[in-house]
Amino acid sequence: MNLPEELRYTKDHEWVRIDGSIARIGITDYAQDALGDVVFVQVPDVGTAVAAGDTVSEVESTKSVSEIYAPLAGTVVAVNADLADAPQRLNEDPYGEGWICDIEVGDADLDGLLDAPGYQALVED
Amino acid sequence: MTDRTSPLDAVHRALDARIVPFGGWEMPLNYADGSLAEHRACRTDAVVFDVSHLGTVRVTGSDAHERLQRAFTNDLDRVAPGRAQYTHLLDPDDASVLDDIIVWWVDGDRFDVMPNASNTDRVTGALGDGAIDVTAERAVLALQGPRARERLAPVFPEAAEVARFGVGTAEWAGVRCTFAGTGYTGEDGVEVAVPADSAAALWEAVTVAGFVPAGLGARDTLRLEAGLPLHGHELGPGINPLEAGLGWVVRWDKGDFIGRDALLAIKEAGVGRRLRGLTVEGRRPPRDGYPILRDGEAVAAVSSGNFSPTLGHGIALALLPVDVAEGDRLAIDVRGTEVPATVVPLPFVGR
Repeated sequence: MNLPEELRYTKDHEWVRIDGSIARIGITDYAQDALGDVVFVQVPDVGTAVAAGDTVSEVESTKSVSEIYAPLAGTVVAVNADLADAPQRLNEDPYGEGWICDIEVGDADLDGLLDAPGYQALVED
Repeated sequence: MTDRTSPLDAVHRALDARIVPFGGWEMPLNYADGSLAEHRACRTDAVVFDVSHLGTVRVTGSDAHERLQRAFTNDLDRVAPGRAQYTHLLDPDDASVLDDIIVWWVDGDRFDVMPNASNTDRVTGALGDGAIDVTAERAVLALQGPRARERLAPVFPEAAEVARFGVGTAEWAGVRCTFAGTGYTGEDGVEVAVPADSAAALWEAVTVAGFVPAGLGARDTLRLEAGLPLHGHELGPGINPLEAGLGWVVRWDKGDFIGRDALLAIKEAGVGRRLRGLTVEGRRPPRDGYPILRDGEAVAAVSSGNFSPTLGHGIALALLPVDVAEGDRLAIDVRGTEVPATVVPLPFVGR
């Protein structure tokens, strides 16, 4: 299982890449493997204000639907438009080209997120 | 109760298959490359499914033909020894389809009846004394796809040459196998029943010959594209063969069979709904149970739906009111969003 050290994670199998005041989010390698082939991703509208825990996206594979939750409060400032035609990016490159959206989170408190060892422990539990 | 496993279970696990419970069995959902790749391999080349979870109920003896004629809806006298036939077992009270079955008429007085996994006991019971569940003795490999026969020919030539809906037996590597020109994908193919002890060797031989292992995930999207019903979805309690568009499976002129009176009453009264295909624009999969709306009012629910890997958009099957016509525009309620849907002819993907 690929778990980049520089990312933060959630118990819902999402990753968060903090870059200044922007949090980029996606699903983990573990999550994409469990979902199977992703065939559709519903991305949020740019400008949407979200609270932590709100549903911001839906990821659908041939077998199931998974909701993606905002790990932090903020405003959606960018979405991965390539997923409309290439949802398989979530399987092929979950931490790179398979990103879902960017949320402007300001000076967010990251204490509620897991680091890589913490997420690994959660998955292995 | 623990789920049963196929004679090929260790083979699947060695291939790192994702194993899921299905009809009382643990079977592969997909292998390492995923169900979309497996689906495409079946449409363009050749795949192998382990379908050992399908039952095999062997009926032999001088009254075997008569037992099957009285239990099932189709008429064996329309075929002959060495042929396979699709047929139904009905509920005697309301003509619901208790199971849909392929009968392999192997020779004279021997029939191998192949029910769905979870219905094997029910079908065995309907056939009475002398019907023997031999499921544990064999594995069944479904070899499917436009290149299936070509790839099977060097491995097992007799099986590769079986006619479509033909049945035969021959030895492979010293063991007697039974095979038929049948399948559940909308592609040409062959299904081979092989003694359990030799199943892994046959699996190895066909994969070396180029068959790509495929699991239940691909099997479901393939049969959905082909418009083929799945028991528990398009057939089952409360659904009769006429509603499912399978009136051709019922032969009224052959004499009595279980559920005939109940179904005749339904036929004379007329059915209120019929199985139809729906397509949606876009990739979002319509899923089982989603409401189908006409002018904002729910008139049915999706019985099976998914993303069509071949077509690149969502497709669904549903039992719709009989006044719905091909070309009608309906909507599917996708978790609160109304997605436009069009009624289309079946199958979604032709052979």
